[in-house]
Amino acid sequence: MKSYALKPFLKYISRKFIFLLVTYFIAITIVFILPRAIPGNPLSTLLRQIFQQGQANPELIRSVHKTLMEEFGLGKPWYEQYIDFVTRAFRGDFGTSISSYPKKTLELIIPVMPWTLMLLIPSIITAWIIGNTLGAIAGYKRGSFTDRFTLNFSLIVSQIPYYWLGMLLIFTLSVKLHIFPGQGGYSQGTIPTFTLKFILDMLYHYILPFLSIVISALGGWAIGTRVLVIYELDADYVNFGELLGLKEKTVFRYIFRNSILPQVTGLALSLGGALGGALITEIIFNYPGTGYLLFRALSTLDYPLIQGIFIILIGSIYLANFFVDFLYALIDPRIRLGQSEGS
Amino acid sequence: MNRPVLQIENARAYYIVENNYVRAIDDISIVIREGEVVGIVGESGSGKTTLSNVMLMNIKRPLSLIDGKVKLYSNGNVIELNKLSREELQKNIWGKETSIIPQSAMNALMPTKKIKDSILDVMKTHFEEIHEKEIIEKVQARFEEVGISKDVIFRYPFELSGGMKQRAVIAIATLLNPRFLIADEPTSALDVSTQKMVLKTIQDLREKEIVKSIAFITHDIATVRQIAETLVVMYAGKIVEISSIEDIIKEPLHPYTRGLLFSVVTPEPEVKKRGIYYIPGTPPNLMYPPPGCRFHPRCEYKLDICDKEEPKLKDVNGRKVACFLY
Amino acid sequence: MWLAMFKPLFKSKKFLISILIFIFIVLLGLVGPILYPVDPTSYAGPFERPPSREFPLGTDTYGGDLLAKVLNGTKTSLYIGFLTAVISMSIGIIIGPISAIKGGVVDEILMSFTNIVLTIPNILLAILIATYLKVRSAEVIAFLLGALGWPWFARAVRSQLLSLINREYVKLSRMAGYNDLRLAFEDLIPGIATYAFMSFILFINGGILGEAGLSLIGLGPTKGVSLGLVLQWAVLMEAVRRGIWWWFVPPGVIIVALTSSLLMITTAMDEVFNPRLREK
Ligand SMILES: Nc1ncnc2c1ncn2[C@@H]1O[C@H](COP(=O)(O)OP(=O)(O)O)[C@@H](O)[C@H]1O
Ligand SMILES: [Mg+2]
Repeated sequence: MKSYALKPFLKYISRKFIFLLVTYFIAITIVFILPRAIPGNPLSTLLRQIFQQGQANPELIRSVHKTLMEEFGLGKPWYEQYIDFVTRAFRGDFGTSISSYPKKTLELIIPVMPWTLMLLIPSIITAWIIGNTLGAIAGYKRGSFTDRFTLNFSLIVSQIPYYWLGMLLIFTLSVKLHIFPGQGGYSQGTIPTFTLKFILDMLYHYILPFLSIVISALGGWAIGTRVLVIYELDADYVNFGELLGLKEKTVFRYIFRNSILPQVTGLALSLGGALGGALITEIIFNYPGTGYLLFRALSTLDYPLIQGIFIILIGSIYLANFFVDFLYALIDPRIRLGQSEGS
Repeated sequence: MNRPVLQIENARAYYIVENNYVRAIDDISIVIREGEVVGIVGESGSGKTTLSNVMLMNIKRPLSLIDGKVKLYSNGNVIELNKLSREELQKNIWGKETSIIPQSAMNALMPTKKIKDSILDVMKTHFEEIHEKEIIEKVQARFEEVGISKDVIFRYPFELSGGMKQRAVIAIATLLNPRFLIADEPTSALDVSTQKMVLKTIQDLREKEIVKSIAFITHDIATVRQIAETLVVMYAGKIVEISSIEDIIKEPLHPYTRGLLFSVVTPEPEVKKRGIYYIPGTPPNLMYPPPGCRFHPRCEYKLDICDKEEPKLKDVNGRKVACFLY
Repeated sequence: MWLAMFKPLFKSKKFLISILIFIFIVLLGLVGPILYPVDPTSYAGPFERPPSREFPLGTDTYGGDLLAKVLNGTKTSLYIGFLTAVISMSIGIIIGPISAIKGGVVDEILMSFTNIVLTIPNILLAILIATYLKVRSAEVIAFLLGALGWPWFARAVRSQLLSLINREYVKLSRMAGYNDLRLAFEDLIPGIATYAFMSFILFINGGILGEAGLSLIGLGPTKGVSLGLVLQWAVLMEAVRRGIWWWFVPPGVIIVALTSSLLMITTAMDEVFNPRLREK
């Protein structure tokens, strides 16, 4: 690549990076402000409760209370609390869990993150590929039976929440037909190891939650790409290409390529919603991921853990976001070589 | 007279919109002969682009060829394009026998591919086997012929200026030396100096016998007179006048032609003398064209018959005009 | 004039079918509880009975009548969806036009704000906020979802307005000395009316699905019944794995039928008002 060509690329990428960093900073700030802004400060209420329960195991409770007091910085001026909070958050220290005291929040999150990533990333990408392909074919055959069928199917499927499809799949394929296991990430009683047997067992448990996400997520992509393709069909380059004698196959490839590009950035934007859906799907499947941990944290009102999960998940989404934008800039020459957006 | 290259007989091409017809081409016949540059002029919306699609039989929904024939003369054979399927046209006619510089040449190139790769795709559809290096050399030669650097083929379309893009499109459209070329408003989107160069490029195409005949579409008589010998004047889906360019400039017969000529923006001495003039009113909605002569609501010479009968194209001193004044 | 505009809609089969489904569900929610006046919060029946004449949708683990819960839940979910849409729409319809009409610094500040809210994942933020709220009424849930959902709409409104503003008649109004507000209401808003209407529908969907999601995670309304809450209890009580299908299938069916019929209405409108997408 010639050196001059690198500039717009770097500019685009660094602008994205700075925007995400700022937004992440704001997200962390919101995490900081929320409990302190809400009337009756839930954090101090919680502390008081813990303190009042101090009879059973006074030693432990006192230690929990002391740690939390320090971490929340209650009693210090708010700006000190804030600076403290942010510096620790950037160091990866999100405080100590209450329900699993004295474990650090991060210690609890790290082992469950891979499960969520392993579930979410392949299923989202699979849905993206299948959905876009379906949508492109439907759009290209605009008005045909294939088109109408794909469109109506996608419209309905896109409105099925992942978790409800998960329930249906568990009920039919697991409870009634006994084809797949209906819960967990692996068979109960086994210990995660790197053996073929365990991996196969894991895949077996993986299929239903994976399908729930793939099927419900592909509809949205199909609908979007179909419209993009329909607009692209009338594009001037399509007309010109046809009048130069280009084969239908080649024209379709052109259209597909150009309609799919905006969907790459679409992928980045959809990650948040997809993650939200996946968390609930994990709860339905008792899948040992972040969703399940979050659910536990919520039912025990383990605020530091909830906050930690939130900060880490948003951070991961932004990382993924950045990665997708990076990829997009690489594959779209208009960004890579610098043509202003939107023209 | 030279042999014909392309002939349209009594073509009607309508857009079908909500069970209604937009009569964009209504009973039009044209012959384009070897070695000829035919100018086709008319206001925007008069059906010029639709006519170009009829000439190539590029009939796609909602456009439909209701009636008429499109004949292409190729080495002594007559091919009725209106009888070919789209696949046959794509395989045997388009790009090889006929080609087009489309109206929106600015967006006519595949935006996310290097120009070289788009060209190779075209070549691959027309030839079983291609030698990439050889083709690239030939293409580069053609690019230099139309006046742009041969390195342009290694760029993406968005890296080119308007004039460069226009000439790249010209080069690509004529790669296979088509016998018949349509240029649809090739200069409208360009600034004046680039216009001149592009016009020259198109003239060269014929002089170097890269193409045999050209249909040059424009809304601007001043442009077309620099390049065409014959002028076809269109109004609201019909041909109102066909004459040699000199005759028309000297003495426009149809009141619409007169209006068009006098409303020329580019200052030409003859025109300037007569002061600025514009045609009052707007072209009709082609879904509900006025009865009789379609120009009558805007015509200052309107006769009683004009809104009752349709004027036929008739010979007047070796020229053709569709008007009851003659 | 409006009637004439909507007339072609009623020729669309897709539109008719989906509007019928939608109206049916709305009636379920509004009239259902009156025709079937069983208290959804009473637990008087037998436990976990499949549908029967006495309990058309069966009962749950505590002997609650599921038909009563679903009917009332539909009402709540519709209410939350509608309220969410009103809130999102109001924010978007203020920010988008101000941004477009004022331009300059105002535009930049508003759009940065919009982009930031757009980039922070709604559901996660809603979860976080809901965590701290001890009491969550249906209104609170709707407010939460509505306050986070508007950015894409504000952005779309802004860009559509920008293209409108450059049209001739708007320029003329400007020259004629219309002030910004009058400009917005007389020239611009009508230009985006159908788009806004379709967005409103999508916001309703967002509210309904958002409520269900929050409820399943345990952060739904703290009193009353909603479709999400019915699902949540079904999950908590392991209804799925114990085969109590009458507990989790009906609320899901209603959610999907409701949101997909609404989505179909928007696509049918899109096809009618946007000729390029039309079928045939
Ligand atoms: N896709 C279409 N659908 C319906 N009407 C069309 C379409 N394309 C063009 N028309 C109509 O056909 C007429 C001729 O258009 P066109 O051939 O593009 O004219 P020109 O090239 O002279 O500007 C116009 O009235 C235009 O509104
Ligand atoms: Mg045209």
